[in-house]
Amino acid sequence: MQRLAGIVLLSVAVIAVAVGISTGGTASHPPKTQAQRSALYSQVDSLLTGIPESGTTLGNPAAPVSMTYYGDLECPICQEFTLNTLPQFIEDDVRTGKASVTYRSFCTATCNDYSNGQAVFDSQQVAAYAAGRQGLFWYYAELFYHEQGQEGSGYVTPSFLNGIAGQIPALDKTTWQTDLKDPDLLAQVQADQQTGHSAGVQGTPTLFLKGPKGEMQAPSGVVEPGGYSGLASTIKAVL
Amino acid sequence: MSTTARPAKASIGSRRGRIGLTRAVLVVTLIGLLDAAYLTYIHYHGFGALVCFGGHHGHSSCETVQSSTWSKLDGVPVALLGLIGYVTLLASLRIPGELGRAIGFGVALIGFGFSLYLTYREAFSIHAYCEYCLTSAGCLTILVVLTGVRFVRGEPARA
Repeated sequence: MQRLAGIVLLSVAVIAVAVGISTGGTASHPPKTQAQRSALYSQVDSLLTGIPESGTTLGNPAAPVSMTYYGDLECPICQEFTLNTLPQFIEDDVRTGKASVTYRSFCTATCNDYSNGQAVFDSQQVAAYAAGRQGLFWYYAELFYHEQGQEGSGYVTPSFLNGIAGQIPALDKTTWQTDLKDPDLLAQVQADQQTGHSAGVQGTPTLFLKGPKGEMQAPSGVVEPGGYSGLASTIKAVL
Repeated sequence: MSTTARPAKASIGSRRGRIGLTRAVLVVTLIGLLDAAYLTYIHYHGFGALVCFGGHHGHSSCETVQSSTWSKLDGVPVALLGLIGYVTLLASLRIPGELGRAIGFGVALIGFGFSLYLTYREAFSIHAYCEYCLTSAGCLTILVVLTGVRFVRGEPARA
């Protein structure tokens, strides 16, 4: 009986350690110190600096290939894609002038599965679009994805959105705050949703690549590890 | 005569029961092992092969669970940890005596406890379920009972 109790105690201890380690990775990861904020911003800046930005478009709008990225800032699969696959696309194709990428808002689970989801979705997407008015949409979106929290947990608050904005030194906060109230930006978010529905978008991320040879949807595998090869082959097909 | 025959009969029945218990552990462990091996393969080779019934953000709910922050433990895929657990459980069946039974029960208990936590995360944090993860959780629930009984009842007596 003592041995049984020993095994149970040891097992409970191992479970507690495992849960402790796992829980450590659950919350959003807003940088806590100035050094962490600077390090994250430097990472994002090194990815984007020198690439033209206009509205939600990154790269030369006249590039032979244009990618439309239907996404949701709160979507964890979009985070996977944005942090794992997109950087190589930006480095290899956008920076070199071969392609551009335009972000469009599309809401699925965020709006459908959580209370107040639509309002939260609208506020987060408008916040990013407002940064886009200053040519900084991708800085805002990248930082948001890096600091993305537990979906539907209510972490997307005005304070969280202000915190992201506060990490972009080039962003004029007063103008950004004013733009948050601009109904045109909300209309743009809603229009993106409609465009997505018309294009047959059903989930996020959904990626369409358009080139001289036509338009193709990227395979769903682009969110997977090593997913860039799926994007590269789609680029080749439309170029 | 009757005083010696009865215990012998009971002993044979008990021995059969214990062998049956070990076989049941073997079968359930193999099911769990195949499940964990598949999830580990999917983790390293992409989510495209997953056949999943649920949906989340327009993708399969398994994909959502597998790409969530809880799919890894300090960078190590949970599926791989499960696979290691099932292999250890299988190996414990080859270890004679109380040590083997203790290892089997301990591993099953750890797996059961952690899969309980992961199922809680699926329900309340990820809001999506992965059928393969639930299958593994089911296997571990059965295994914790079987290995627990096996540990308490002891080894099949030699014939």
